[in-house]
Amino acid sequence: MSENTIGKKSLEWVDSRFPVVDLFERHLSKYYSPSNINIWYLFGFLLLIVLVMQILTGLWLMMNYTNTAEGAFSSIEYIMRDVDYGWLIRYMHAGGASAFFALIYLHMFRGMMYGSYQKPRELIWVGGWFVYVLLCAEGFTGYVLPWGQMSFWAAQVIISLVGSIPYFGEDLAIWIRGDYIVSGITLSRLFAFHVVLLPILIIAVVFFHILALHEIGSNNPDGIDVKKHTDQDGVPLDAKPFFPYDITHDFYALGVFLIIFCSVIFFFPEGGGYIIEYVNYEPANPLSTPAHIVPSWYYTPFYAMLRAIDFPLFGLTAKFLGFVVMAAGIAIFAALPWLDRSPVKSIKYKGIYSKAFLTGFVLSFFVLAYLGSVPPTETKNMLAKVFTFIYFAYFLLMPIYTKFEKCKPVPERVGDLA
Amino acid sequence: MQTRSRACWRSSLKSLFYLVAIFSSLLIFSAGEYRCGSIECDNFKSDVSDKASLQRGLSTYMNYCYGCHSLKYSRYKRIAEDLLIPLEMYENNLIFDGSKIGELMEISLTKEDAVNWLGAYPPDLTLEARLRRPDWIYTYLRNYYPDSSRPYGVNNRVYQNVNMPHVLEDMQNTLPKNQYDQVIYDLTNFMTYVADPSAEQRKRIGTYVLLFLIIFTAFAYMTYKEFKKDLK
Repeated sequence: MSENTIGKKSLEWVDSRFPVVDLFERHLSKYYSPSNINIWYLFGFLLLIVLVMQILTGLWLMMNYTNTAEGAFSSIEYIMRDVDYGWLIRYMHAGGASAFFALIYLHMFRGMMYGSYQKPRELIWVGGWFVYVLLCAEGFTGYVLPWGQMSFWAAQVIISLVGSIPYFGEDLAIWIRGDYIVSGITLSRLFAFHVVLLPILIIAVVFFHILALHEIGSNNPDGIDVKKHTDQDGVPLDAKPFFPYDITHDFYALGVFLIIFCSVIFFFPEGGGYIIEYVNYEPANPLSTPAHIVPSWYYTPFYAMLRAIDFPLFGLTAKFLGFVVMAAGIAIFAALPWLDRSPVKSIKYKGIYSKAFLTGFVLSFFVLAYLGSVPPTETKNMLAKVFTFIYFAYFLLMPIYTKFEKCKPVPERVGDLA
Repeated sequence: MQTRSRACWRSSLKSLFYLVAIFSSLLIFSAGEYRCGSIECDNFKSDVSDKASLQRGLSTYMNYCYGCHSLKYSRYKRIAEDLLIPLEMYENNLIFDGSKIGELMEISLTKEDAVNWLGAYPPDLTLEARLRRPDWIYTYLRNYYPDSSRPYGVNNRVYQNVNMPHVLEDMQNTLPKNQYDQVIYDLTNFMTYVADPSAEQRKRIGTYVLLFLIIFTAFAYMTYKEFKKDLK
């Protein structure tokens, strides 16, 4: 009894100085999520867990990592062999990077399927997109750090893309590298970005993303506005509090995710060369180019776009145009809220064209992912061109096909048959 | 409402399943490559729990390979401990240059000498089994053939015009084929171990981690179900 009073008193003491009860209610026990959300709504929580895991494992890796061209490669092997459970920390971090991208792609696809980017969630979407861009930079800078052959040559290829910008590109590339080729100087600055600048930005934008979400609330597979129908206390009728109903669901999902994740990192830590590439077990050698330079699997769709553009146009080089197309492929996600003119949100109620184009987009994403991971041939290059076209058609034709297609009526409330 | 949400669940699961299926088939499709030079790789299945095989492989490595190929990311002591070799025995028989047992396995061959004598510096092989894969090593070491046009009179089907002489030539000529294959098996098995010495510990811990996670997930599932009852 007395314990309860002490607990209560301490809570009051804190609460009158910091709004802990208010925060708990606003973001957990009285934060409502639609009652019809499904399995696609679990990935955001998992992403947050992976973010925390990456920060913690990264912190421990950093304790033993050497950020110099001479010491980087052997410091990784030192972690793998001499540091207690260093192999575990490193496999978690490398596998965590792949998991991060797998989850963020699923999370983004959910938003595209159910029109979660539409009004009034534009800023949530744009914030999330910015997290994705930062994550791409984080993944790239991290990939360079082991200073293996693929680390070095991937950095060389990607930074040289900047060099294709007309007029000042070459100077810009030298400024970024800090050298005429990728070197130890480049390594140590990418290290600084990887462990300080980018993580801070990612945490800040994730915070923004979640804050914006909690202001408006989750969308749902039907795209129904659940805030329209409330009881006399203003509680939405077709919703449930996040705590405890969603959090228990999320923890169940976390268990399933961790079973898959741990099966990989304990039993297939290299992921067949997709999580840790075999070529990267050879130290960086500026004098010997590997036969095939391939980026990590999560960048391959964009790498395929880069290679698909193999012709100069309007006096611009093929390399620069490829770079522009690749960057546009990533940037265009941010424009989705303004490209979609549909009166309905969810793909369930959109017309046949939206369904066809979304299918085309998914297909092109997978085909490009494959094409970007294999050495190019003439046929494959042709295919890459076709699927790059389909990829962009999904976005660029969206204002037209979403405006004119016939949509199904959206039910007024969850569970209603429209 | 119940059936609707369940149907929606099922359709989401189905689409997820298709996504995974498409992606994994792409991965398998893209993994198929011809890796062992002019021939297909032989089948090699390592068994790093076979300590006797690893010990024999270590002995072959130290006597035939270590003169030129360092294992500079590995330490003598780690190998002795993992392979259950008494430290004193290891020090007396397998450390040739007076190094301390806790040291990294570096060799005294200098780059300059190597280039003068052999034309190239023999690479460190600690991570060779991860870089080229064990089946490549196994196939490579069993595919030297006589070729009088080459400086050492041998060539290799896996690595055309390789600079390395056939160090195990005498052994291959005197031993019956199955015994020579066994020597190569043990050597490759050892190189597989040394490239990834934590593999055994990893799998052991991994089993316990998965057992824990299955129990955790079962309880998490029951909690989820229990709370879900309120929402009916």
